[in-house]
Amino acid sequence: MSEIGPILRALLRNKTSALLIAGQCALTLAIVVNALFIIVARQELMQRPTGLDGENIVYVQSMGFTRDFRPEAVIREDLDLLRRLPGVVAASPINAIPLSGGGSSRGYSKEENTESEGIGAAYYELDEQGQKALGLNLTAGRWFRPEDVQALPENTDQYPYQAVISQAMARKLYGEDAPLGKRLYFQNGQRSVAIIGVVEHLPSAWVHAENFPYSVVYPRITTEKFIRYALRTEPGRRDELMPVVEQALRKANAGRIIRLRTQSEASARSYRGDKAMNIILASVSGLIVVITALGIVGLATFSVRRRTRQIGTRRALGASQWQVLRYFLVENWLLTTIGVLLGSGLAVALNLYLVETYSLERLNLWYLPAAAVLLWLLGWAAVYAPARRASRISPATATRNI
Amino acid sequence: MLSMHNISKVFRTDLVQTHALRDFSLEVAAGEFVAVTGPSGSGKTTFLNIAGLLENFDGGSYRLDGVDVAGLSDSALARLRNEKIGFIFQSFNLIPDLNLFDNVDVPLRYRGFSAAERKQRIEEALEKVGLGARMKHLPSQLSGGQQQRAAIARALAGSPRFLLADEPTGNLDSLMARQVMELLEQLHEEGTTIVMVTHDAELARRAPRNIHVLDGAVSDLHVVGTPSLRAATV
Ligand SMILES: Nc1ncnc2c1ncn2[C@@H]1O[C@H](COP(=O)(O)OP(=O)(O)OP(=O)(O)O)[C@@H](O)[C@H]1O
Ligand SMILES: [Mg+2]
Repeated sequence: MSEIGPILRALLRNKTSALLIAGQCALTLAIVVNALFIIVARQELMQRPTGLDGENIVYVQSMGFTRDFRPEAVIREDLDLLRRLPGVVAASPINAIPLSGGGSSRGYSKEENTESEGIGAAYYELDEQGQKALGLNLTAGRWFRPEDVQALPENTDQYPYQAVISQAMARKLYGEDAPLGKRLYFQNGQRSVAIIGVVEHLPSAWVHAENFPYSVVYPRITTEKFIRYALRTEPGRRDELMPVVEQALRKANAGRIIRLRTQSEASARSYRGDKAMNIILASVSGLIVVITALGIVGLATFSVRRRTRQIGTRRALGASQWQVLRYFLVENWLLTTIGVLLGSGLAVALNLYLVETYSLERLNLWYLPAAAVLLWLLGWAAVYAPARRASRISPATATRNI
Repeated sequence: MLSMHNISKVFRTDLVQTHALRDFSLEVAAGEFVAVTGPSGSGKTTFLNIAGLLENFDGGSYRLDGVDVAGLSDSALARLRNEKIGFIFQSFNLIPDLNLFDNVDVPLRYRGFSAAERKQRIEEALEKVGLGARMKHLPSQLSGGQQQRAAIARALAGSPRFLLADEPTGNLDSLMARQVMELLEQLHEEGTTIVMVTHDAELARRAPRNIHVLDGAVSDLHVVGTPSLRAATV
């Protein structure tokens, strides 16, 4: 565009207001880019695959309180009852709820008698229906058979002989080697189990931990007064079945307290902070963008009014309406471009600071051109109405005294 | 060159209608230098605005350089203004944020001249008005007379056939007014058609042709510098 030179020179004569807008654009870009980057990172965290049929899983917790409570018998009866309820796809005892923030973990390694702590992984106890109850996708080997499953009290030295592990865990331990048939060591490599199967995903209970994708499953039922079952309903029937399940269990055995929790609830609870932070960041970013847009509208309106006579003169000298409109669009584009250049530097600096102090990820630099395009569009949207008004100023304004 | 027949112009506000021009007829031939006088509110500026295509009119016909301007689009009018007309304003109307070079450049850019041609025309025009050494100055760094000469440079840089001036000396003291008048006379001698509105009877007399506007119409086409006219314009 041929007018850039004089527009820029005219802008430089009004440095204060030019810098005000360019600076505001720069700050907006720096803040919004970093906020968006954090929001997207959190969103990705929340959307990691879980491998669970999240919408259809209910956990039933039963706390027996009578003196003659016999866990092993109760578990047999309960499982029998649950599995026969219409709408229930599968049910299995389970020791901990994935993604819930509470569970057990242990260090594992591929070597015998090692000094190292190994890799921290969640461990789960499930029975032969566990795979179906959570909706897990088996990618290698097999799931447990009824005869693999051992019912044991909490404090025992006995361990099952087999385990199924998550694929991430397998890759972490053995790389590209096939994990099936390998032995998995724990307790400083003094004990081991044989790996008989691999599931695509089975996350640990801790959504913010690095060992989130690592898990080991034993074919085991812990026979204590506190019992937990995982059960999976037919798609869409979870909420309708929950009161039915609760009623049935209470009726079968009154000597206990029953509590139900869905997988979705448990996951949502763990991500509550992330979600809230994202909403705050998004609102603040939106507000900053609106304030910047209003700033541009305000300054453009002011400068059109201040330059009414000048615009009339330009029209008298032969500017078409479009050329007047274009003048303001180009002027705005120059200001936002200065803002983009300053803001990009500022955004990277802010990100580096966050990387240093809060060990955030490095900014994906693609955010900068994307933000630049958005800022240009924002600038034009904001300046359009005042610029349009400017283009309608009558050329007669040049000779009339106002 | 300029041919107006029975032009009428009415300004309407919520309360009043002002007939700024009624049955205004005037012929100006190429190469003429016409001074327009008349009492305040008589319609001089309105006439000049219509002549310069800054304002439309309600009735009558107007041909500029053979072109009937009625019904032309806004952008066609802008192009005609840019190519055929040079404006000189009472309060100069230089753009305060641009130096003299860039000010003179404004209409030339709208014209679409190449950078080289613009530069040559700007320098020539500023040399002509005696401001060749002040090209990098801002309007605020110049005297009123210098500013008006810069505005004249801007008006003539595009070599228009037609110069329109609304009280070009109205904001100047008599010495500077004389310099500006001499410049206009020189341009006239070089063949430019000039229509100048003025309150200054002495300046008006120096123009070869005078017309007097009264109540929105031309009152006297022929008498030049009569005592009665002078009395009316002082
Ligand atoms: N935009 C407008 N709206 C309403 N009335 C107007 C407008 N412009 C001019 N007029 C009226 O039209 C009439 C002619 O005005 P014009 O400016 O042409 O007079 P003039 O001869 O140039 O006066 P002066 O010597 O004071 O400059 C006046 O009565 C004026 O009030
Ligand atoms: Mg006037």
